[in-house]
Amino acid sequence: MLESLAEFAIQGIVLGGLYALFAVGLTLIFGVLDVINVAHGEFFAIGGYLAFAAIVVLHWPGAAGVAGAAVGTFLLGLGVYPLLLAPLKRRLGARPRGPLYLVLTLGLSTFLQSSLLAAAGGDYLRVPPYAGGVLDLSFTAVSHQRLLVLVVSIVLLGGLFLFLRFHREGLAVRAVAQNPDAAQAMGINLPRVFALTLALGVGLAGAGGALMAPLFNVYPTVGFPLTIKAFAITILGGMGNLAGALVASFLISLAEAFSVMLIPSEWQNAIAFAVMIVMLLLRPSGLLGGGGRR
Amino acid sequence: MIARVRVIAVPAALVVAALLPALIPHPFVLTLATQAMVWALLAASWDLLSGYTGQVSFGHAGFFALGAYAAATATKHADLSPWLGLVFAALVAALVGGLAGFPALRLRGHYLALVTLGLAEIVRLVAQNWLELTGGPFGIHDYRTFPGLPAAPLAHRQARYVIVVAIVAASVVAMRALCERTPAGKAFRAIREDEVLAEMLGIRTTVYKLLAFVVSSAFAGLAGALYAYDVQLVSPSVASAATTSFVIGMAVFGGLGTVWGPVLGALLLFGLSEGLRFIGVVYNLIAVGLVIMIFVVFVPRGLAGGRRTA
Repeated sequence: MLESLAEFAIQGIVLGGLYALFAVGLTLIFGVLDVINVAHGEFFAIGGYLAFAAIVVLHWPGAAGVAGAAVGTFLLGLGVYPLLLAPLKRRLGARPRGPLYLVLTLGLSTFLQSSLLAAAGGDYLRVPPYAGGVLDLSFTAVSHQRLLVLVVSIVLLGGLFLFLRFHREGLAVRAVAQNPDAAQAMGINLPRVFALTLALGVGLAGAGGALMAPLFNVYPTVGFPLTIKAFAITILGGMGNLAGALVASFLISLAEAFSVMLIPSEWQNAIAFAVMIVMLLLRPSGLLGGGGRR
Repeated sequence: MIARVRVIAVPAALVVAALLPALIPHPFVLTLATQAMVWALLAASWDLLSGYTGQVSFGHAGFFALGAYAAATATKHADLSPWLGLVFAALVAALVGGLAGFPALRLRGHYLALVTLGLAEIVRLVAQNWLELTGGPFGIHDYRTFPGLPAAPLAHRQARYVIVVAIVAASVVAMRALCERTPAGKAFRAIREDEVLAEMLGIRTTVYKLLAFVVSSAFAGLAGALYAYDVQLVSPSVASAATTSFVIGMAVFGGLGTVWGPVLGALLLFGLSEGLRFIGVVYNLIAVGLVIMIFVVFVPRGLAGGRRTA
């Protein structure tokens, strides 16, 4: 009993690393741009496809493939703000932003998903593991691939926090998140920060997609369920709250891992949605939020 | 004067156009035309809640699927008459829509969209996993359709098309009337434009938001039931986010906040998407995504050129 508990805990923690990578990017984008990126999962899928192209087609080494996929998704992400969000913002002007941004990114999601389908087909593409072998913990075994996902996730998230804390551009990102008008008055170039933030957020998703490619396979809709789950995570953690998203990622992933003891595994995916709806009813500002009405 | 002509001429032209396919003796055309009509009703129901009242739902695939499953299972397992099945489906969807409306009373914008998306996803999971009732991943089939239709295949299809057109037209007219000719419609618009101001003016925003939710989900459920009785197969993919995306694309294409704009958008986008199938089955959703992005950013009033969107 104790052994299986430990096994579920380890599974949950590894999955939590991935959720955190994904949800922190989503939360960062929301916090700075006030836009929920419905297409976030598609960038996860793009990361997977780029990793497949680099590693399987071009025979790059695994590490270079993952790095290339992350950079590639980042570069793609740089275009999203100037090409899509900025024109809508210009059109809306000073009027309330409303949920049109959601509809817009939903369109982007559909477009990217079906473009991937058209370009690569619907087959499940296999990427070989980046690390072979397993770590034997005597009571359970964890594959090195899963450990790698966890370690790289932690390193990337650590890098993001350092960037936001100490780097000049990172400070600009946080300034805009706090007060865009004041930030602009201090000479911060808002469009530049918006574009950079969006690219950073989806770049993290792309890195996650590349890292998970050997475990999940790669197909056009691989990221979409993750998007919905990340919505639940961001709501649990409090919208726009990075630390909250981090904590909530692990809470949800552990809840999912332990749930197999109580409910059939095919209902596992419903947990996140149930948590989301209950949270919105009881405490919309999230676990770490101020408790105010939104 | 011109406005008066438009009021009479546009609906008349629409009805004539809608009845034309009934005269075309081609089963394939009839099948597509019937499905297009079902989509039109779903898009109009989305518009009542999201375009007109400004409460954006990402879960209409869920209400649609609820209606479809309610109709199919009631007819298959309880031998309910399909005519009553339509009513039953609308009631089930309205009930769930009303329950989903409660969070909507507290939530705005982003949050509402996320809750409804989660709701649709739960509907999809239930449909996929409740094998005894829903038939699981392969869906539910082998239930009867409307009774008393002609037996000859072509005449049967024509009759089914006329039934669907009649129900869809009546529903759209009813929704349009609710929005344009009743105090509720004025309240819907006030909520969309400025909820706080509407509340200060004494409009009971809670009541009207809930009303919009219930009416919209009821008609989405009705569309689902029509789908179920027409296609004769309901599978979990009906509840997928792609369905919602398709419907939102239709509404944005046609013009938000007009009810009839999304009907037009649905017919055109469905036609476009089916036409693109001849080139390749994946291109239709690329087109849907493009239409959403281009119209949201550059053609906010849609083809119908309706009033300013929220």
